[in-house]
Amino acid sequence: MNKKKVYPYWFLIIPLVLYGVFFLLPSILGVFYSFTDWNARSMGQVNFVGLKNYIEIFTSDKNYLSGIGHTLMFTIVSNIVKLIPALFLAIMLQEGLKGKNFYRTILYLPSILPFVIIGITFKSVLNYDNGLLNNFLDMIHLGFLKQKWLSDLNIVWGSVIGVDAWRGIGYVMTIFIAGLGAIPKTYYEAAQIDGANFWQRLKSITLPMLTGSIMINLVFGITYGLKVFDIIYVLTNGGPGHATEVMTTYSYQMYADGAYGMSTAFNTLLLVLTAIAGIFVVRNMSKKEVQQ
Amino acid sequence: MKRKMISAILCCSMVAGMLAGCGSSSSAPAESAAAETSTEAESEAPAADDDAAEATQDFSGEELSIIVSQDWMNDCWDDVIANFEDTYDVTVDLQTIPADQYDDTLQTKLTTDSCTDIFWIQSNPFAISSVIVDPEKYCIDMTGEAWQSVIPEARLSSCMYNDKLYGLQLWTNSPEYVLVYNKTLFGELGLEAPSTYAELKAACEKISAEGITPWFIAGSEGWVQALAFFQIGGVYEEAQPGLYEALNNNTATFADNEKMLEVLNQFKELSDAGYFGEDWIGATNANLDNDFAERKIAMAMANPGEISAIEEAGATDEFGICLIPLGDNDTYPTNPAGPTMFGYAGTEHPELVKEFFRFCTTTESLQSILDSRPAWTNIAVNDENVEQHWLPQEEELVSSIDESKMQTPVLQTGTKYTNDSWGKFCEDMIAFCQGTMEANDVLKNMDSNRAESAKVAGDANWN
Repeated sequence: MNKKKVYPYWFLIIPLVLYGVFFLLPSILGVFYSFTDWNARSMGQVNFVGLKNYIEIFTSDKNYLSGIGHTLMFTIVSNIVKLIPALFLAIMLQEGLKGKNFYRTILYLPSILPFVIIGITFKSVLNYDNGLLNNFLDMIHLGFLKQKWLSDLNIVWGSVIGVDAWRGIGYVMTIFIAGLGAIPKTYYEAAQIDGANFWQRLKSITLPMLTGSIMINLVFGITYGLKVFDIIYVLTNGGPGHATEVMTTYSYQMYADGAYGMSTAFNTLLLVLTAIAGIFVVRNMSKKEVQQ
Repeated sequence: MKRKMISAILCCSMVAGMLAGCGSSSSAPAESAAAETSTEAESEAPAADDDAAEATQDFSGEELSIIVSQDWMNDCWDDVIANFEDTYDVTVDLQTIPADQYDDTLQTKLTTDSCTDIFWIQSNPFAISSVIVDPEKYCIDMTGEAWQSVIPEARLSSCMYNDKLYGLQLWTNSPEYVLVYNKTLFGELGLEAPSTYAELKAACEKISAEGITPWFIAGSEGWVQALAFFQIGGVYEEAQPGLYEALNNNTATFADNEKMLEVLNQFKELSDAGYFGEDWIGATNANLDNDFAERKIAMAMANPGEISAIEEAGATDEFGICLIPLGDNDTYPTNPAGPTMFGYAGTEHPELVKEFFRFCTTTESLQSILDSRPAWTNIAVNDENVEQHWLPQEEELVSSIDESKMQTPVLQTGTKYTNDSWGKFCEDMIAFCQGTMEANDVLKNMDSNRAESAKVAGDANWN
């Protein structure tokens, strides 16, 4: 008997079957349906149409490409906006700050709020005429800073990304705090004795030792950004006009219209993009990971 | 010793618990038997009450779920629903969805077989086949229900498909979504109700100079702005006779239609001038009544009943109604369509659903719906016992319009698949007003959306 084998292999069967039936099979079927004309009226008659759905996405007058562009932009910007402040907050709260657990809790709280609540709250806060933010700006005599937060083409993405950052920074920060806790204090003590300042310690100790946490946050952030839906749906529903449409909102609309083939084509594109981004990040960051 | 004591106490408490359980179970049948006896006794009581009492017993404890778009089932339904709950001892779960999300939400629920017991659609003579797509699969067949006679003949086409009755439409018969305006303010500024685009623009300019929003539009509601384009359908038909038929046969398009382009460009001109409000794209209808009453706005597209709501909000001014004058429109917004409720075929309570429909069509319920909705002055039903409250302004408007101008229904009701893309058209109008789309692209998108709906509906004219 091989004593190293704690559990027999057949223990894998149940999770593998569940994973296959509820995850792999629907994904594969989704990819298959993206090459068909499946729609609400098909009544089981699904015809293979080759790349027609994909050609439609890339050549349609409806400018679906802008949705793909918005998705990529949101993914990049929202990660930058969340990761950098979250890292500094984590460092700050890792130090001997008084009441740091209280601050950690406060910062983490928004990430457990449902998107619908966030949407309703911020739609009200950001309302141009009666919103809390504009009223506050008026009150402190900064009325010239008032904006049409959710209806101005030049502002709306900033508002969406801002609300998303408010919601997500606490979560990213928590992962960073866990990573920071694993870095031996002795490294910092040695660096301080050598006269290293904050930025030098950050560059030479914190960031290299935090590669694992950065990788986790990046993978989570990129996959979240690519499949972003909720926050946009509740705040702007893709508007004003089509200014904040992303791949998932288009996919959702098509599904709702009964154009299932087109909808799955969008989802397949999203799957490919997410897979490429995920593999790219994991491969690159793994090389840079520092073993303690 | 201590352990033994604790074990003994635990054993005793377990035995006591079991006995208590047995006790309660043994007494339960006795109680239920007593209850049955009393029910029997009651049922044997003289004349055994009526059908409603039996129904109360049948449905007791059940839950009826309804999904509806915001504004279709306002507070005016509260009394009807409460009465229904009391009468049948059931609970009604009313799920109100924001208008701009409703179509997507409903379609997703229908296609995933997870719909509520009752659902609503904005119905018209073509909507059942294009919105519900497969009424036999999704809707309870209500054919033969007595309430069919309550629905006016003109509205039945929005409730029936292939000679089967599916929907119940309880809506107002007023001139729908005309321009409500502040008559007193207009008088003070030396203005008449605008009847052409030039007059409208001149009025807007004058009102705007007073610091009042001339024509308020709530763009973030997701449905309001399209009214300005669709409610004047008669003007497009007049400019190009036979247009409706050609659109339904797929031999004409929205794109390149000169009158439609003219109307869209006029709309943008007013938007650019700020006549719809400083942030009309982000505005909601939440304060419409108060804003009218406080003279913050001078005009808005609404039903005539809005006048009563404004008066209730404390207005001292006099209000009137006129046709939307974009494109020099002088045609009446004839529209035998409206939000309609359907029973979901997959429901676990089909009889309760049918009972709800019956309950809604009693004279008491109809009167309650009408009386509780200030925005309505009448309800379109064949029930002489319902007391209607037509406004003099409505009678004045209707009498001032030639009958020949009332023949063409509004665009969304008279042409197939148009109403299905209402929300998308609203988004495109905003994109056009913000300069990210051209007017003709808005119309092209409508053609393309209609073609997609036609394809899903299997319409031979689009194949």
